[in-house]
Amino acid sequence: MHKSFLMTDLAFPLIVAVACAGIMGGTSLFLTNRVGAFNEIFVVQMLSNGLQTGDYAAAASFAAGFLIARVLEGPLVGVLDIGGSLMTGVGIGIPALLIASGYKGLIENFTTAVLFGALAGLVVGLVILLVRKSMPQGLSAAGTDVMMGAGNAMGRYLGPLIIISAISYSIPAGIGAFLGAALFYYLKKPIPGGAILGAMILGTIFPVK
Amino acid sequence: MLSLVVKSVIVGALAGWAVTVGAVRMFHAPEIQSMGAFRTLGELNACKGDPVSHFMFGLGFLFNSAASVVGAGALTQDVLHRIVPNWASALVLLKTKDTSEPLNNTRLMGMAGAIVGAVVVTLLNTISSAVPSSMAVVASKVLGQASNWLINPIMPIIFWLAALDAGVQSGVAATLLGGLAQMIMGNAVPGCVLGIIIGKNVEENGWNKSVKILLTIVVILFASIAYFRGFHVKFFKAFAL
Repeated sequence: MHKSFLMTDLAFPLIVAVACAGIMGGTSLFLTNRVGAFNEIFVVQMLSNGLQTGDYAAAASFAAGFLIARVLEGPLVGVLDIGGSLMTGVGIGIPALLIASGYKGLIENFTTAVLFGALAGLVVGLVILLVRKSMPQGLSAAGTDVMMGAGNAMGRYLGPLIIISAISYSIPAGIGAFLGAALFYYLKKPIPGGAILGAMILGTIFPVK
Repeated sequence: MLSLVVKSVIVGALAGWAVTVGAVRMFHAPEIQSMGAFRTLGELNACKGDPVSHFMFGLGFLFNSAASVVGAGALTQDVLHRIVPNWASALVLLKTKDTSEPLNNTRLMGMAGAIVGAVVVTLLNTISSAVPSSMAVVASKVLGQASNWLINPIMPIIFWLAALDAGVQSGVAATLLGGLAQMIMGNAVPGCVLGIIIGKNVEENGWNKSVKILLTIVVILFASIAYFRGFHVKFFKAFAL
C-alpha cells in the first residue's frame, strides 16, 4: 500500500511546525486585536494578566510545565497532546517568556510571530522524535497524570469565579452572570461562556455610575 | 479589519491543516507518532461515517467558542480539537462517501482542515471585533478579577492538593518547592509541578541519576530566579543579618 509522505516520521516535525506557526500567529493577533488566541479563557487570561501587571511568572511556569510534561508523554503513548504542548506551552508559555525578556515586538509582529512559531514547533517535533527513538533510562513520564488532572480541574473553577467577580463589579452584571451561567448549564454548555455573556449584556445596559 | 481577516485566514488555514493531518495520524498511533487529543479520537470515532453527525457535533461547540472569543478573545481549544477535525471529516465524506477516507487520506483531510480552519477562525475573530467597546470593558473587568483569583491562590491550592493526594514523596517535594516558589516567584505552581514530577519519579524509579540531575537543575533555576528578583536581599533583611 502506498504510504503518503505525511504519514512518515520525517513529516512529523513539519506538521508540528505548521501547527505552531498558526497558533503563534493566533497569539500575535491576540496581542494586537484582542481576539484569536487558540486557548481556553483561563489560560489566555494568564497572558493578559501578565500584559497588565508585567509579571509573567504564572503564565510562563504554568505553560512550560505543560510543555515539558506533554513532550515526555507524547512519544510514550504515540499521541502528542496539542492542547497542553502546542496551544498552551508554545502558544502562551513561549510568548510569556519572550515578552518578559523584552522581546514583545517579536510576537506583536505577525510575520516574525508565525516564523518563530514554526521554528519552535520544528524544535518540539524533533525533540519528540529523538525522545521516541531513545527513551532515556530511569526518567519516565511519571507525575504527568497528576499534573493533567490538576490542570483540567482549574477550568472548573472559572465559572463560579466569574459570577463572584461580576457580583462585586455591579448588581446588574452579577445577575446577568448567574442567569447566563444557569442557562448555559441547562443547555449543557460550559458555564464560563454564559456567565461572561450575561455579565456583559446586563453590565452594558446598566453601566456603573 | 482587512488585516484581521487576512491574518485570521492565514493562521486558521495553517493550524487547521496541521491538526487535521495530526488527527489522521492518530488513527495509526502508536506505530506512527501523531498529535491531537484523545477526546478528538473518540469523538471522530463516535460519528464515523456520517457527515451530518460530524457537522452537528462541531456546531455545538461553535456557539460556545463564539461566546468565549467575544468575552475574552479566547477561541477555546475546542476550535482545533473538535470543530476543525469534525467539519473536515464531514467535508471529505460529502465528497467521497468512502467512510475510511477521513482515517487514511492525509492529503484530502489536510486540505479540508485548512479550508474549515480558515473559515471558522475568520468568522469567530470578526464576530468579536463587531462587539462595542463598552461591552468589552465590562468583560475585561469581570474576567480580570476572576482570573486574578484563579492564578493566586486557587491555582496553587489545586496543584498543591493534587501533589498531597499523589503520595508521600510528591507531597513532601511539592510542599517544600511550592513554599519556596510562592516566596521567590510569587506563585507556588511551578514549585508544586516540579515537586510532583520529582516525587513521582523517586517513587517509581528510586533515587537514580536522572532524578539527581533534575533536582540540580531545579536548585540552579530557583537560586538564579531568587538572585535576579533580589530575593536574597529581602531574605537577609528579614532575619536581620
